[in-house]
Amino acid sequence: MSNVLRPYLAAVRSTLTAALTLENFSSQVVERHNKPEVETGTSKEVLLNPLTISRNENERVLIESSVNSIRLSIKIKQADEIERILCHKFTRFMMQRAESFIVLRRKPVQGYDISFLITNTHTETMLKHKIVDFIIQFMEEVDKEISEMKLSLNARARIVAESYLTAFNA
Amino acid sequence: MALLAPIICDNGTGYSKVGFAGNSDPSFVFPTAIATRGSASQTSRAPAVPVKPGHLASKRGVEDLDFFIGDEALANAKTPGYGVHYPIRHGMIDNWDHMERYWEQTIFKYLRAEPEDHYFLLTEPPLNPPENREQTAEIFFESFNIKGLYIAVQAVLALAASWSSNRVTDRTLTGTVIDSGDGVTHVIPCAEGYVIGSAIKHIPIAGRDISQFVLNLMRERGEMAAVPPEDQLRVASRVKENYSYVCQDIVREFRKYDEEPLKYFERYEGEHSVTGRKYGVDVGYERFLAPEIFFNPEIYSSDFLTPLPEIVDDVIQQSPIDVRRGLYKNIVLSGGSTMFQHFGQRLKRDLKQLVDRRLDASVMASGGALKSSGVEVDVISHKRQRYAVWFGGSLLASLPEFYTSCHTKAQYDEIGPSICRRYQIFGSAT
Amino acid sequence: MILLEPHNVIIQTTLSEKLIKPSSLDVQFVDYDGVRFHLTTPERKTSLLLSMHIRCWDELVRYGAMDVLKREYGALLAAQAEPEYNVSLEIDLEQVPADPGARDDFVMSIALFKRNALAAPFELAFKTQKELEASGAGRGELMQIHYRDEEAIYVQAAHDRVTVIFSTVFQEETDRIFGRVFLQEFVDARRSPSINAPQVLYSNRDPPLEIRDVPGLRNTEDIGYVTFVVSPRHFTNPERASATISHIQLFRDYLHYHIKCSKAYMHSRMRHRVTEFQKILNRAKTEVATVERKTASGRTMTSR
Repeated sequence: MSNVLRPYLAAVRSTLTAALTLENFSSQVVERHNKPEVETGTSKEVLLNPLTISRNENERVLIESSVNSIRLSIKIKQADEIERILCHKFTRFMMQRAESFIVLRRKPVQGYDISFLITNTHTETMLKHKIVDFIIQFMEEVDKEISEMKLSLNARARIVAESYLTAFNA
Repeated sequence: MALLAPIICDNGTGYSKVGFAGNSDPSFVFPTAIATRGSASQTSRAPAVPVKPGHLASKRGVEDLDFFIGDEALANAKTPGYGVHYPIRHGMIDNWDHMERYWEQTIFKYLRAEPEDHYFLLTEPPLNPPENREQTAEIFFESFNIKGLYIAVQAVLALAASWSSNRVTDRTLTGTVIDSGDGVTHVIPCAEGYVIGSAIKHIPIAGRDISQFVLNLMRERGEMAAVPPEDQLRVASRVKENYSYVCQDIVREFRKYDEEPLKYFERYEGEHSVTGRKYGVDVGYERFLAPEIFFNPEIYSSDFLTPLPEIVDDVIQQSPIDVRRGLYKNIVLSGGSTMFQHFGQRLKRDLKQLVDRRLDASVMASGGALKSSGVEVDVISHKRQRYAVWFGGSLLASLPEFYTSCHTKAQYDEIGPSICRRYQIFGSAT
Repeated sequence: MILLEPHNVIIQTTLSEKLIKPSSLDVQFVDYDGVRFHLTTPERKTSLLLSMHIRCWDELVRYGAMDVLKREYGALLAAQAEPEYNVSLEIDLEQVPADPGARDDFVMSIALFKRNALAAPFELAFKTQKELEASGAGRGELMQIHYRDEEAIYVQAAHDRVTVIFSTVFQEETDRIFGRVFLQEFVDARRSPSINAPQVLYSNRDPPLEIRDVPGLRNTEDIGYVTFVVSPRHFTNPERASATISHIQLFRDYLHYHIKCSKAYMHSRMRHRVTEFQKILNRAKTEVATVERKTASGRTMTSR
């Protein structure tokens, strides 16, 4: 599984590392404001071209960069409605605790399941390559976690059904 | 079809009180303990706990259903493979995994209610962080799909419980709550349903200390010699519960006992829990000395010396000046350790003396120019004191406004857990 | 706890307590499927009145609930039910057998009040099946028990089997999906040879043949039908039949209980995973030497 995934993750890793060249940049529109430009979008000249890395139609990453911040959105693989609901539950659970995940956005960008917002403050106070590591590891494990949850759900359902039905034997 | 009664769930550090609104007593009172597989020392954060063979654990995948709660948890504490956990620490939920499963079994095994059909009223300690409410809401709405949720502060419910007393004429949510359970005693001022967080005070003396004190006294008098060592603490707490009362004057009480010991001394008959051997002890001065540690802590502890009335006075003096009259006028008792006879009267008398002394001093200071109209001090004792918080919840949840004050499932789905940050009071006549 | 118990714990504990120490009481409580109970001492401390309200009482009476309850409780059954409730039992604590074993049995039989009331249609169906078996063909009446607002149990006897159909409605999207996984496993688990259970069928949306003619059936995506085909070997003798009834009654509650448990389990998995992710992210933080800050009076400023 990870062998198949590797080129995809490698592409995300190098793109993200390249994109994480951020500097402090005060707002050009409002005095004494310093906002992530990718979120405000008020000065076109500091925004860079957004970029999509896509493995297939169900799995892709959108990286939008600007002078002082980048936004990375992930669409997680969802094969059926069980995976869809589990993925939805998991990402919502995580975003509910966004304040402890400093780089996590509370809401995903439209069309994606989860978004991260990394600003120049983050790259200054934290190790850049470790942030990249975190994102990559997240992408790797979230798929695994969702398929494991699905398996365990099925296993549970089986046990539950069997326990109920064997009780008729008694 | 009439709506089914809301479920009131008061999860305290030591005991959980659960039941249905409209009743005067909780249906179940059991320890907030959960016995799970895996040793107690190991913090089993990981869901994949290694399991030992057992009838249930052998089925891989549902290990998380193999647990006991409440009294059954304590009964299984000795069973190999099980460890007992207490998911609530200092009134706040410490281990959410355990708490979620604790609730799961409370609802399905004990209450036998389909949570989708019920509204829930939960309680929280004062100064509970809003994140905890959000997590609670997440569990109740997402795992259990409940109809609606109301999270109330325990102190406010204790105030509401005092409405049942016939001495209370207006339904106010302003007052001082003295909540004394097993572990710790709190003095909490509330103004119109909101807790004045900055003025709360804790007293490290509560039920457990009183039992210990009774035990010490009886050992000193040599009474405990007849009691097997493992039963001594239990006997002490029995004596505390059944024979103790608050006296108005210790010296006079001592004299009374010495003059007519036969009239005042009581006899406690016990039976050894294992061998069934009978024994008896004489209960004497501990009858009035036990609760005295609230009023004269120096007789028990050497590091905490402030008497309860003084603490109450301090708390009220630290509260905003415009609510102080209301706080003095409505002092409400809650919890098992306030159940001593005449506890309220003694507290009222001591507190009144403190207040009057201060008023007199200020009259003197002004040279008699300013005269105070006096401050009314009243302590309210009522029949439901032991489970006051639960009873207050039962009372509030049977009001029709309860349903409109609840956060409903629809609202939760629309807005998310943050709705529980807002907290609406209701039910007071003002 | 995997299986749910058929008896009501509140009735059981309250009665056992009151047998030891009678005192006046007035409590209301519930059981699964919107059953309401009211336990009071109207006259004396030793005479209890236990009343029950079941949503589908009229239907149950039609299928012989009164006879079943009379058989189970005999003289305890009150002639007139308490207002607002369907049926009442008058329990005189002084008449209860003193022998501990018999006493426990008595308490348990009272705690099975709801189970016994709901058992009537099943017993009737089992009886009808026996009669039909003799004649060799034919079908019994299709009994409908609307035990919840939107859900119902249908019971029908045939000459070689009794069919029990549950209609299930899930209020929430997650429950619906989880429920479907569970129900599918019920169908599959039946196929494993070691299990000697009734055959289980599950259909989403389309009602099974037996109840297709019933008026007022909804035909939407959120509804499903679970059919249990109970064969005569599941009720060969009275004990077997009674165990089967107790068990099948709790099907819906069992299913919902486990859906909720699974969600709780998912929550604990997610909590675990989130803390793992947290640890990974924390590795990115550079060590900042935290200087202890003190106020003017020398107290340390710490966040709790």
